[in-house]
Formats: sequence, C-alpha cells, structure tokens
Amino acid sequence: MELSESVQKGFQMLADPGSFDSNAFTLLLRAAFQSLLDAQADEAVLDHPDLKHIDPVVLKHCHAAAATYILEAGKHRADKSTLSTYLEDCKFDRERIELFCTEYQNNKNSLEILLGSIGRSLPHIMDVSWRLEYQIKTNQLHRMYRPAYLVTLSVQNTDSPSYPEISFSCSMEQLQDLVGKLKDASKSLERATQL
Amino acid sequence: MLLELSEEHKEHLSFLPQVDSAVVAEFGRIAVEFLRRGANPKIYEGAARKLNVSSDTVQHGVEGLTYLLTESSKLMISELDFQDSVFVLGFSEELNKLLLQLYLDNRKEIRTILSELAPSLPSYHNLEWRLDVQLASRSLRQQIKPAVTIKLHLNQNGDHNTKVLQTDPATLLHLVQQLEQALEEMKTNHCRRVVRNIK
Repeated sequence: MELSESVQKGFQMLADPGSFDSNAFTLLLRAAFQSLLDAQADEAVLDHPDLKHIDPVVLKHCHAAAATYILEAGKHRADKSTLSTYLEDCKFDRERIELFCTEYQNNKNSLEILLGSIGRSLPHIMDVSWRLEYQIKTNQLHRMYRPAYLVTLSVQNTDSPSYPEISFSCSMEQLQDLVGKLKDASKSLERATQL
Repeated sequence: MLLELSEEHKEHLSFLPQVDSAVVAEFGRIAVEFLRRGANPKIYEGAARKLNVSSDTVQHGVEGLTYLLTESSKLMISELDFQDSVFVLGFSEELNKLLLQLYLDNRKEIRTILSELAPSLPSYHNLEWRLDVQLASRSLRQQIKPAVTIKLHLNQNGDHNTKVLQTDPATLLHLVQQLEQALEEMKTNHCRRVVRNIK
C-alpha cells in the first residue's frame, strides 16, 4: 500500500492524545467511515460538539487521512496485522489500534461492496420481458397465421444512468435456440462452481 | 375471393395475348426477378426492340403481370378464384393456364418477399456466450466475481447487428426460467384454440 506523507502526518496527529482525546478519536474515526459508506452523509459529519475544540484544519486533515487509509486498506484487503503494523509506525497506542481495527472489521463488508461496485463493465442485463403474438396479416401480406415472440431485455449501463432496452422478435424455433444456448451457459456455470 | 382488376391494369395486361407464350413466360420470369432484386429498365428496352413495340408497352405488361402476381399471392387466393379473376380479361385457354402456373410456382417465394416489407423489429439471429470471472479491478483486489458475457446477433432489414452484454449467474437463471415459460405458453389450451380457430 502506498500512502503519502500527508496521510502519515494526519495519523500521527490522530495518535497524539494531546490533540485528540479518546472520545474525539472515536468520533473522528466513525465520521471517516460514515462519510465513505453512508450515502446520505453530508459535510456536517464533523460538526459534533465534542470535536469543536479542535482546529478545523487539523480536523479536516485527519479526517481525509483516515478516509484515504481506509480506502487503501479496503482496496488491498488488508488484514489486521497489516493495519496494526502501519498504525504502530504512526505511534498509535494499543487501545487506539484495537479501536481502529474493530471499526474497520465492522465496516469491512460494506466497504468491499462499495469498492467492488466502482468500475466500468459491459451493459448489464437486468431483466427480460416477453410477448407472444399471433400474426394474422400485414398490409402487404394477408393470411399469415404464425406465432411470434417479442423479447425485451432491460439493460443497465455503467456509463449513463439510463436503462436502455434491447428488443427483438423471434420465431418459436429461434427462441428455442436462444433458450438452449442460455441453458448451456448456466450448466457450464454450475459445473465450474463445482470444481 | 376474386381479384378486382382496374381498367388501367386490364389495359396493361392486354399486351400479353399479342405475344406468344414463350414471351409471356419470359415476362413472368422477369417480373419475379424484379421482385427479388429490383427493376432494371434496360431489360425493357432490349425486349421492346426484339418485339418491335415501345418500351413503355413492355414495361406496362411486365408491371401488370407483377401486380397480378403480388396481389394474388398477398391474398393467397385459391386456384379457382385466380382462374375466375383472370377469366374477365378474355385471354385464351392456353394463356390462362400459363398465368395460373406462374402464380402457383412463384406464390411461396413472393409471399416471403412480401413478408420482408412488414414493419419489423430487429430479429434474433444467434447468441454466443462466455463465462468470465473478475479477479480484480482498480478499486478492489482479490475478487471472485463470476459473470456471463453474451454476444447477441440481430438482423434488421438485412443489416447484421451485434450487441455485447453481460449478466450475473442469478439473472441468467432468471432469464432461462422466464423464457422457458414463454415457450410453454404456446402449448397451452388457450393458444392451441386460437391457432386452430383463426384460419
């Protein structure tokens, strides 16, 4: 994990009981996790009365340092010993190390879900809807009498928040072909998970 | 059901008895070829020269024949109805037989061509799939995230289109289940009754 000097300085300040007493430390730590993981978190996360006595510049610096470290740790799936080592290097006492690790452990899952959801991928199929119709005639062709399916795939794009749809028609044979191929894929998936 | 032929149409077709049956058969062939590929005016000129008539006359004759064939095919009229419809033109027995044969021989293909004129959506052509496992990304290492990548081939108006999509295992199973239900629907009593009774 590569962490900047700024992060290290921020942590050294957090380690100092003179700058952050136990209560303030816990509050700041929780605020860091909250701003990362809570979708509704706003800037007022640092507005707790028990943090008012600390210089706002210091507060912001330490908050940013903690948030940066948490993200890096989550990205690399850091274990407890990695966390402890780094915090020791920043002169954290035993109690604060334990506190950090506990908070980290509590939020680990949400953190990993958040990080895993960031990124680009192909348009993702969310759902399918279908319609079966019986074609009787068109203005060019009378007495048709054949069944047809209209299949619509709803798709989510990572690039845009829109939900475009892909629609296509197919005959019964074509739908059987499509379903057959999708079944092959899912059987293959089942076999792969049993390896 | 009888075909209603307009006066103009009858006039165009009146050229046909003036040439021998080999020529009419050739016109029939040209008419179907035009339905397949589109009209080619140069052919009219060549034929006009050989038959010693204006190229307009030839064009009308071929167009009249084309319209006769497409309308009959579109309505899928029976042999008897076709014969009765053509009877009003007052052609010879031989010519009537020739026209009927032309109709029956080409009906299926003409109907296929006509069906392509309908408003159409992209239609399914093929599906390719691939199993992937995402191991890491810029924002998270050491992942195991299975996904199915799908290449959907679609046709629209002759254009081949492909879409590359992805889905997760749970959605894949859901897709299979939903589409199997769609296929099952054709076998229900309701659908069978509709298919049996609407003819």
